[in-house]
Amino acid sequence: MSARDAILARLGPVRDPAVLAAEAAALLAGEERERPAGGEDLVARFLAQLGQPSVAATHARIGSLAELPGAVSGYLAAEGAEPALWLPPDARVAGLDWSGLTRLADCPIDDGAVLAFARAGVAETGSLVFETSPEAPMLPNFLALRHIVVLEVAGLVRWLEDAAPGGAVPRAHYWVTGVSGTTDIEGTYVRGAHGPRFLHVVLVG
Amino acid sequence: MSRAFDARVDAALADRQLKIAVERTAGTAEAKRGVAIGAWPSFGAARERAAAIKDHVIANLGAYLVQFEAAATASGATVHWAQTADEACSIVVEICRKAGAKSVARSKSMLGEEIGLPHALEAAGIGRVETDLAEHIIQLAGERPSHIIWPAMHKTREQVSELFHARHREPHVEESIVAMAASARRQLRGEMLGADVGISGANFLIADSGQVCTVTNEGNAELSLVPPRVHIVTAGIEKLVPSMDHAVHLLRLLARSATGAALTQYTTFYAGPKRAGDHDGPEEMHIVLVDNGRSAMRDDGLAEMLRCIRCGACMNHCVVFRQIGGHAYGGTYPGPMGSVLTPALDGLAANRDLPNACTMNGKCQEVCPVAIPLPTLLRGWREKSWREGLEPVTLRSGLGLWAWAARRPWLYRAGVRWAIRAMRLAGRGWIAKLPFAGGWTGGRDFPAPAAESFMDRYRKGER
Repeated sequence: MSARDAILARLGPVRDPAVLAAEAAALLAGEERERPAGGEDLVARFLAQLGQPSVAATHARIGSLAELPGAVSGYLAAEGAEPALWLPPDARVAGLDWSGLTRLADCPIDDGAVLAFARAGVAETGSLVFETSPEAPMLPNFLALRHIVVLEVAGLVRWLEDAAPGGAVPRAHYWVTGVSGTTDIEGTYVRGAHGPRFLHVVLVG
Repeated sequence: MSRAFDARVDAALADRQLKIAVERTAGTAEAKRGVAIGAWPSFGAARERAAAIKDHVIANLGAYLVQFEAAATASGATVHWAQTADEACSIVVEICRKAGAKSVARSKSMLGEEIGLPHALEAAGIGRVETDLAEHIIQLAGERPSHIIWPAMHKTREQVSELFHARHREPHVEESIVAMAASARRQLRGEMLGADVGISGANFLIADSGQVCTVTNEGNAELSLVPPRVHIVTAGIEKLVPSMDHAVHLLRLLARSATGAALTQYTTFYAGPKRAGDHDGPEEMHIVLVDNGRSAMRDDGLAEMLRCIRCGACMNHCVVFRQIGGHAYGGTYPGPMGSVLTPALDGLAANRDLPNACTMNGKCQEVCPVAIPLPTLLRGWREKSWREGLEPVTLRSGLGLWAWAARRPWLYRAGVRWAIRAMRLAGRGWIAKLPFAGGWTGGRDFPAPAAESFMDRYRKGER
């Protein structure tokens, strides 16, 4: 008998999937959720969560994508960082004027800045939601020192459940809720453990 | 108590550095959790729901495993099954060999520790780099984890500094925790990006989508699992949840209970290998579903223990753990949850001390985010140990003698009077040394009794 068959035999007969699904769905009815700071307004709630010490992100707001290069330049200048960044192979960056910034050919692996588009933002936790695709590599978002994330206001949702991918399951679906941090030495919080030390959100709209 | 356990506890109690280290981290964790739970008035109802979700899955584990296997396979992952720790390690080593792997990057997984994966990789001659900061610290020190969330909890910053100075290529100059973390970042970056295989555990396995969920604060899981050619997941079969929405409910409880944050910094759901056109991701994804005693636990009265989501709150709030740290427990899992799990995983005869090393104050059950009745389960092990005759003769005959005397009140009261007189000869207030009670007074003083027993004072009309 294979290990699979032996384990399944010990676990007993399998019940009707439809009945199980109904039971599982009922277990989520009327779920308890914490009311996050920031009131009922999605933008206010999201920004309030971004400012929490455990998230520690900064943000800027622009009216349209055309203002994005200027917003990025302004952020990097204010931080005293090099006016350079790596841009993802996303059609949305192609039509913009990046002339004031150096576009890096390769993603920096321990410093520098990268830009990424989040599909959604979650007001409950201040999380940014990403999915991998040919236009959206994953690794750059964990390598650079500064993670600059573009998010359309229309992409804001209230709860984590609302951010689930709608259609086919992506290879990687991931939530970024703040900067990389660790408390592994004496429980003391340090930011920038292995991933980005700075997270800057540019809200569009 | 067995000599091995006794010796470990004695050594831990005598180690002042250990007490400082445990108190610094566990104290911080306790305070942060308190704030997070305090801000969530419906925590009590939320944890009852979490318990119900886990109970539903555990009762229907076979169905959910089959559903998960089908969905994960459809995403392009290969699913393996292992009945024992050895089977699981063999599967992982074989995948590494087939991939021609010289080095693996490992993202912290308690299941990996449970099945002895670090040792199996070493025996197979495969280089291993632990990428979680705490796991990196204990890999350098050649030690085992002492906590399931903070594996290096037993180390003070001074000890970590010494270790990094001795072992890092470019160690920190400034003596600060920030500088030490930066030193580890420099040391590990190249090794993570150059690994052939990435190995992780799973916080949740999503049955209806075949996704594997990992959570980290450092981002080391993603850096360990995306660059290598192969991603291997080893996960206990109890990690299943019906859907992502069920995982979300448990994630809300997990982060708050572990670190006091509303959510971990990085929460990732993986489904299969790299797809056409993707710029990164592994070419192969393997998922090893590990039983290692779990199906037996379900049927042997320990089903509630399979609810555990490994947050570590029970140990952070345990008065015994706070005194002796994690290593004294001797198993993979320390603290209250470890004292329930270790006898099931490694046998009761060798671990019957663990359920006895508990004050039954109930704090662990009170803070558990899935409401596991830990004291009840520990009491179950005590009863089993007694029934199976595992307790030593001295204890059995001692209790027999006490029971015999307790059934004869006149004799019992005379004995108490005699004992009070004898103990008051040994000291007033606090007794530093007491014959026949060296096990107690070796580590702390014993309170001297009042001049008369309760019964004697009651009889004199003091009521």
